[in-house]
This record gives sequence, C-alpha cells and structure tokens, in this order.
Amino acid sequence: MRTVLTVLGLAALILTYVGVQSLVSTLEINVTGSVSSLGGEIDVWSKGAVFPLLSRLPESYASQVKSISGVSLATPVALVQLTVDNNYALVAGVVPAQFPHLLNYTMTSGTMISSNQSGILAIGKALAATIGKGAGDSAQLNGQDYRISGVYETNTWMDYSLVIPHTVAQQLIGWVNQTSMIVVVTQDPRNVNTIIGQIRTLLPTVDAFRTSEAPSRISPIFASLEAIATDITIIVSLSAVLGIMNSNLNNLRERMRTFAIFKATGASYGQIIKLVFYESFLIGVLGTLLGLALSYVILSFVSIPLIETINVKIILVPSIFIYASILGISISMAAAIYPALKIAKVRPQEVFRFG
Amino acid sequence: MDDGIILRTEGLGKTYGNGPEKTVALDNVNLRVMRGKLLAVYGPSGSGKTTLLFLLGGLDRPSSGRIYFDGVEVTSMDERGLSKLRRSAIGFVFQNYNLVEELTVLENVMLTMMFEGKSDKEMRNRAEQLLHKVGIAGKERRRPSQLSAGEQQRVATARALANGPRLVLMDEPTGNLDQENSQELMQLVNDMIRGEGATCVVATHNLDIVHEAPSKIFLKSGRIVSG
Repeated sequence: MRTVLTVLGLAALILTYVGVQSLVSTLEINVTGSVSSLGGEIDVWSKGAVFPLLSRLPESYASQVKSISGVSLATPVALVQLTVDNNYALVAGVVPAQFPHLLNYTMTSGTMISSNQSGILAIGKALAATIGKGAGDSAQLNGQDYRISGVYETNTWMDYSLVIPHTVAQQLIGWVNQTSMIVVVTQDPRNVNTIIGQIRTLLPTVDAFRTSEAPSRISPIFASLEAIATDITIIVSLSAVLGIMNSNLNNLRERMRTFAIFKATGASYGQIIKLVFYESFLIGVLGTLLGLALSYVILSFVSIPLIETINVKIILVPSIFIYASILGISISMAAAIYPALKIAKVRPQEVFRFG
Repeated sequence: MDDGIILRTEGLGKTYGNGPEKTVALDNVNLRVMRGKLLAVYGPSGSGKTTLLFLLGGLDRPSSGRIYFDGVEVTSMDERGLSKLRRSAIGFVFQNYNLVEELTVLENVMLTMMFEGKSDKEMRNRAEQLLHKVGIAGKERRRPSQLSAGEQQRVATARALANGPRLVLMDEPTGNLDQENSQELMQLVNDMIRGEGATCVVATHNLDIVHEAPSKIFLKSGRIVSG
C-alpha cells in the first residue's frame, strides 16, 4: 500500500510539473507567436501595453506616422478575439488595400478580402482546417454569417487567425476611430531606428519598436512566469523528496527483518544499498510513466484562457516530458539515498534478538 | 599448515552495556573445532550459546579475544570481509529460521547464492538439488508461512548449505520441532556434514544431539564449564 502511494505521489508530481511547464510554454508559444506574425518593420502600440490585444490608440495616428519622411506604409490593425463557428480565434482587422504590402501570404484557395464590405472574411489555413471550411463556405463570426472569400497561408501564427476589414472589426469591437496598433513599413530598412525615434517624438503616448522586438516586450512576463513555474517545481520536488523519503524509511523499517536476513546471509553494505536503489528506481519508473500518461491524457483535454475569452489548447512539448522523466526518476533516487544508507547499517544480531 | 582445526577462539568475551548495567554474555571462551566434525554447545537459557554462535559467524563483534577461521583472524576483518565470510564460508541456521516471507522457498535458498553473484541457472539448479535433499521437493513455489515448522527448518538448512560452506552454525535447530522431526533433521545434518564436508557447530538444549556429538562444550553464565 505504501509503495502504491509512493507511485501515486510521484505521478502527481509529474502531473504538476508537466502541467505548470506546459501552461507556461503554451502561453509563451501562443502570445509570442501572435505578436511577431503581423508583418511590417515597426510596431506602434499604446504606451505601457505588453500585448497588442491590450493596446488601443487613435486610428488617426496612422496618417500622422505615414507623414513621417521615409515611411512607405503605416496601416492600422485592430485585433480582437472572436468565436468562429464556436472556436475562439484571433481576428485581425486590416485595411484591405494595404494588407498585401504588410504581410507575405499565398492564397491556397479563393481570394483575399479586397474591400471594406461587411460579411466577408479571409481565413488562415490552420483555422480553416480546424473548422472544416474553405473558400466559398459560410462561417459564423461572433454569431453572424460571413462568407469566406479565400484561405491564406503565411506559415506564421496568422494561419490560426482570420482577416476582416478594419472598419468591420471596429464595429464588432464597438470602437470609434480607434485601433489596436499601427504597423509601419519603411522605404529604406536602414532608417528604421531613425523613424522609430521620430514616431516617439511625434506621438509621446505611444511606444514604437522594431516588429522583431515584439516578443521581447512580453518576455519579462514570461520570465516571471518561468520563475514562478521553477519555484513551484522546486517546492513540489522538495516536498516529494521528503515525502517519498519518509515513506521509504517507514517501508524499509517495516522490512528491517528482511534486510537483516539479507545481511546475515552474506549481503554486503553495497549490495543492500544497490537493492534499495534498484527498488526505488523501479518505483520511480512506474510513478513517472503513470504521471506522464496522466499528464498526456488530462492535458490533451485542457484549454487555458489566454486573455479574456481567448482559450487555447495546452501544447504538449516533448522536451517537458523528457525533463519530467528525469525529474521523477531523480527524485525517486534522491529520496532513497538516506533510507538506503540507514538500512544498509542494520545489525542483524540486534534485529534477531530485539526485533 | 592444516592442523585439522577449522575454528579457534582465544579468550573470547562479549559484554553488553556499561557500568552497573553491564552484562557479561561470554567470558574467556577458548575452543577448538575440528574440521568435518560436529560440535554441540549446550547449556541453560542465557548461558551465551546464541551469542557465541553470532560471534563465530561474524554477525557480531567480540568485546575481547580473537576468533580464527581456517587460520585467518576473523575479529580483525572489516564489514566487507565479514560479509564475504558469511556468504561464502559460513552457513547459519537461525533459531526461528529467519526465512524471508516475501520470497518463495526456492528464492530463499537462492538468496545467499545471489549475493555471491552466481548465475540464475546455477542458483536454481543448486537450490532445487538442496530442496530435494532436504525433502521439500515440489514445494519450491510456496511461501515459508505455507510450510510446517519442520519444513521451514529444512528450508533454512538448505539455505545455509547453498554456497557449500566450510562451517555450518545451527542455533537450536530442533527447538521448535517434535522428536520425530528433530531426529530426521539431525540425520539430515549428519548426512550433510558427510556429503558436503562441512563442519557443524550446534547450539542446543536437545540432549540427544549432545550425546551423539563427537565433541561438546557446556556453557554456563558465559563460561565453558566442561568440554
């Protein structure tokens, strides 16, 4: 019974580790992917925003930025999370005429949206596959019927989203003359830093930076999350080591007579230690395998709210499972060191005489 | 030089505790055991018989004196040396058998051979052969608790002989057996001594064994009174 509880305890530890680490990875992959896939060379967000969905600035800023010398394109992008056939998806509201200059994409079927007409959308290839729709089909966007004009492919996180006209996005969000961000393309990439400085001077309430730096703006959040995840892992691991060690000690004490017999019949100090370690290794493997299986099954069905109503499925990263295996077996072995050393010193004559 | 003595003690003593709590279990025990013979150690309860056997078997360390086994001083050996001695040269049959309940009869007999590092096939063959000799054939898969006291004693004897020891120490081997089983066991021990060429030291209350033993010592209050 004690061994079964030890195996279950280890499995719970593995589940906790894989759960916490997968949660952080899922958030990081999704959020980082989403902010770095909108194209352009410069992003303009409202000051202090750590994620474009949290950014909000006047749409008119786009024309002010466009007026800066050396800027070839400054286009507003409104980002919103909406349901598409009951699936949550990131929706980008773009100016149709400017979108081809913003992002490299290929149409796998149909055409990209080309006007501000309501009721039409273009959908990313991955999202189209998820909802099982293609060009010419109808899809429910926030409960309203939209026609899919075409399916695009960017090989970025945008493939999990869809595109509608900027004006339509504003109506859906309920914004008037507001947008989430402005994406800027320069005439000469060597002038990006200069133009960023000019934007910051011209618009003190915004933050402008290279598009490639967008993930790093949210990295402090993930650094904190990773630190918390590491702390949780350390605390849970230490608790597990102490708990399993206590269980091992009691388990071995109950079998003191058996080990005394082993010693009396010729087992050496090292052989007793090896036996205990071997047993702990088997328990560690069992607990780890059970924990990995539980983690895989449970986390496969879990979605996490990304921001507000955004739910994303947990991404199961193989490396986390590998680290979890190492952690589980290491903890099992670490928890066996003290009990093994203690039981190996058993004096058979005392056990046989006094029990 | 082989003078026929396999086991010798010089001024062997064992005390437990200190000061007024001090208990003398053995005091200045000098004995010689001839190779291939049976030595019976008898005496009243608490006379030090079990303590003597534990010291001779390297399970405990004396407070004073020396033990020589085949000319080698046992008392100066470290734990590793004593472990090696216990598994390769000495077989021990304990008073209450000390079989491992979690293991089968066959596995119990294989135990000492496992610690000696023998192959699985070799261990299995030897264990089956010994169990056949002691009359436990067909019960190899049973747990010790599924056997009678006499059968458990036979299994313990088979285990003690597994590695072909030069010395077999038996602590009250007939203590829990009826007369018929006692006689059968001692017949088995005599056969084993002859067949395996082992020397045997038996601590016993059983006067039949004492009378039949070619050499004997009588212990009282930790001292050899006669023998």
